[in-house]
Amino acid sequence: MVHEYTFQCPLPNGLHARPASLLSEVAGRFSANISVTNGRTTAVANAKSVLALVGIDVKMGDSCRVRIEGEDAETAHAALREFTRNVLPGCDEPLPVAEAGLGVVLPRTLREIDVPWHAGTVVCPGIGRGIVVVAGGLALPADLAHEPALSRGQEQERVRRAIASVRASMEADMAARPSAVEAGILRAHLAIVGDVGLGEKIAALVAAGRSAGQAIVKAAAFFAARMRAAESIYVRERAVDVEDIGLQLLEQIYGARIQAAGVVLTQPSVVAAENLTPRQLLSFDKRFLKALVLAHAGVTSHAVILARSFDIPTLTSVTEVRTILTAGQEAIVDANLGIVIPGVSPPVGRYYEREMRKLRRRQERFGRHARTPAVTLDGLRLEVGANVATTEELAPAFAQGADGIGLFRTEMLFMDRNAAPSEEEQFAIYVQAAKAAGGRPVIIRTFDVGGDKPVPYLHVRPEANPFLGCRGVRVYPGHRDVFAAQLRAILRASAFGRVWVMVPMVSALEEVRWVKARIAEARAELESAGLACDPAMPVGIMVEVPSAAFLIDQLAAEIDFFSIGTNDLAQYFLAVDRDSPDVAGLYSARHPAFLRLLAKIVEDARRHGRWVGMCGEMTRSPRDLPLLLGLGLDEISTAAPEIPSLKSAIAQSSAADCRVLLAKAMACRSVAEVEEVVAGFRGRGGTRSLLDPDLVAVGSDSASKSEAIQEIVDSFYAAGRTDQPQAIEEAVWARETVYSTGLGHGFAIPHCKTDAIAANSIGVVRLEQPVEWGSVDGEPVRCVILLAMRESDQDDAHMKVFSKLARKLMHEEFRERMLAAPDRAGLLTCLADELGLSTDQVG
Amino acid sequence: MRIVAVTACPTGIAHTYMAAEQLEKTAKALGHQIKVETQGAMGVENELSVQEIREADVAIFAVDIEVERRERFDGKRIVQVPVQEAIKSPKAVFEKIKA
Repeated sequence: MVHEYTFQCPLPNGLHARPASLLSEVAGRFSANISVTNGRTTAVANAKSVLALVGIDVKMGDSCRVRIEGEDAETAHAALREFTRNVLPGCDEPLPVAEAGLGVVLPRTLREIDVPWHAGTVVCPGIGRGIVVVAGGLALPADLAHEPALSRGQEQERVRRAIASVRASMEADMAARPSAVEAGILRAHLAIVGDVGLGEKIAALVAAGRSAGQAIVKAAAFFAARMRAAESIYVRERAVDVEDIGLQLLEQIYGARIQAAGVVLTQPSVVAAENLTPRQLLSFDKRFLKALVLAHAGVTSHAVILARSFDIPTLTSVTEVRTILTAGQEAIVDANLGIVIPGVSPPVGRYYEREMRKLRRRQERFGRHARTPAVTLDGLRLEVGANVATTEELAPAFAQGADGIGLFRTEMLFMDRNAAPSEEEQFAIYVQAAKAAGGRPVIIRTFDVGGDKPVPYLHVRPEANPFLGCRGVRVYPGHRDVFAAQLRAILRASAFGRVWVMVPMVSALEEVRWVKARIAEARAELESAGLACDPAMPVGIMVEVPSAAFLIDQLAAEIDFFSIGTNDLAQYFLAVDRDSPDVAGLYSARHPAFLRLLAKIVEDARRHGRWVGMCGEMTRSPRDLPLLLGLGLDEISTAAPEIPSLKSAIAQSSAADCRVLLAKAMACRSVAEVEEVVAGFRGRGGTRSLLDPDLVAVGSDSASKSEAIQEIVDSFYAAGRTDQPQAIEEAVWARETVYSTGLGHGFAIPHCKTDAIAANSIGVVRLEQPVEWGSVDGEPVRCVILLAMRESDQDDAHMKVFSKLARKLMHEEFRERMLAAPDRAGLLTCLADELGLSTDQVG
Repeated sequence: MRIVAVTACPTGIAHTYMAAEQLEKTAKALGHQIKVETQGAMGVENELSVQEIREADVAIFAVDIEVERRERFDGKRIVQVPVQEAIKSPKAVFEKIKA
């Protein structure tokens, strides 16, 4: 008996995994063969297989023919009709809203190229280009891929057992009352693991002589490929789920042999993965690792922290990473903008070559500051240290100009392993750091585990609230031997350089006393063993719990130094988990209350003559730097790549102005007010000249109006006159839309008023090839003069120069001089001359 | 002729001054007497007094925005052109004031 009917897909998101699983459930109750044909594509699916249903890519409005053949066809027909008519329309779920990328505005030049791009959250800025390598995907290690199959019966049994046990563990998870989101995923995964289509495919492959592993990989790849070809992004995303299940089945069968599969980079690569463990990241050859695109790594995950310390451009929250990027294609990760571009067309390539050139120029300019101490214009010294977690990062950090290691995180040594590292193992590492520092201080933080960094052999119990639980110093009393070994290793290293020890998560004085007693014991042990150590090794604490912040007076009597950990301190102080999207907006280190707290800590520490530094997110941003200078810290310690630009910025700052700014910010009523005060601050670069040799170029290869504008704005960026080049470009273009600034005779004078520029600036490029500008006389432009003026504070002397320049441009003699100048120096002299600027006013 | 003029553009950084220069230059070449007030980012410069306005034969406004304190020109013959026109073809602007 055969029954047929058709229905139209009523679901805005198409027949994705969840409605498909319900449909297959209904079909599965009957013995009849039931198929669904998508009228648009003519693809046919077994209605009992979710994977097959999803794979035929049914979209809203598609007409589907259901064919039912078998003994119970009539009842099946009735049940299915009832389902498609009454239940299916209610099965849709809203698509998840992309959180990342809402704020991304492509620069003009890139917009004009019309490039495909996907947004992510920037965790380490920079630009990387390479061939996509997918890590963590479903592939068998070489040995398993070539291992001959056992008997068909044995392989079949392996598959059966694996499916049963994966299923059982999912059902157990399901019974443990998961959250709605987890339950949804579990349901979808349960549907896949029990999918008849997948089961049949694996069985057929085993019957054809494949091993269980080979069959699982091939079957999963078959379905995943079909899903990835679907038009609906929702369906494409499910391909990862299929591979996930495949991986779970493989782990079930082969155990540790599966985990051993690593990824080897052999050329400049963009690594795409759902997430990475620190070990995985460390295993990549850094020469070839150009960028990372992750789906689920949190901002504070260790993979991300490591990526930053290696200065690898990294995006996270690219939830569809596996569908966006295909292994083997070329991709560009622009972690300044927060986008990844799959596939590199020639215009995109050109754009990024220019972009890289800009970054190199900035790096070269700031590099000049790397070797010298950072001192403000009014003589305040601020040490800039580097945060590291591995010995591999030491040499690059010192090359960037680190004045010391302000934070050596040691927990990385304790993670991803089955037992604590031995005293000797640790000593070898710490001594390497002490020696590499060559007389500069190295602050070693004792292991900070617990919280979001669980370490199994330290048995931190699962806690409802791990950030308020057993972490940092609170872990040590339960593991005295592990802590003692670390202390001995650090003390021994102190004989080889300037080693300081720092304790995390201190909230009470007793903790400090307890730690000091352990240090004394360790020292005594070493002495009796005849091993050397620095008898006066400084002992300090991280200030990251608000109670410690209000106990500086008492703590100062016990210890030698403080280092403010802004991430946790702000999180605890503001009661905001910044990884929680609903409240992350409340997290800001620019909260006036937080600034007051910081000022109190520094003031109290100062009163007792104690050294006080800062490590954490807040040290990274040049825009926060004036606040930090205002605080009067001894040191800031940050990701090594930030050091040159921070040192350069310090050298151009006035500490007195920064103190005034901080006082103003502390008096603000809200974060928004602080932002405004900080944005309007012109301490940095405020006294700089209008012109600078680095802002003038002749023989430019810019081939369009947008490229020419971008080139000049890029020179502002490279010269450290702005951190927001794009905002300046947008302001220039906003002016340009009123009417073109092409004034005729081959000249254009684009301009803008914006606080995105740190100092009033004149940029000039003379173009090799004239470009169309929409000028009043219709002629293309050969010389572009861009004026950028600050909006919030006027400098009449500068304004007069601007207006003088504008007037000069009306005179043919001036224009001819500008065009005839033989080179950059000549052009600069001509400008300085005509505008009556002395040489010290031109940088 | 005795001419007074005002130039003003939206950002007041460049075109205000280019137009002023162009008007001054062209007036000189044509044998006119001119004083140009600029209303730019620095505010009003080279301000025209009521008397200067009264004594002028005509006023030129090369502006893309409202002229500040326009009441000073009440009753005066005004030729208004976009800023760009004064920059592009200043002679044509002076043709207009003849009429």
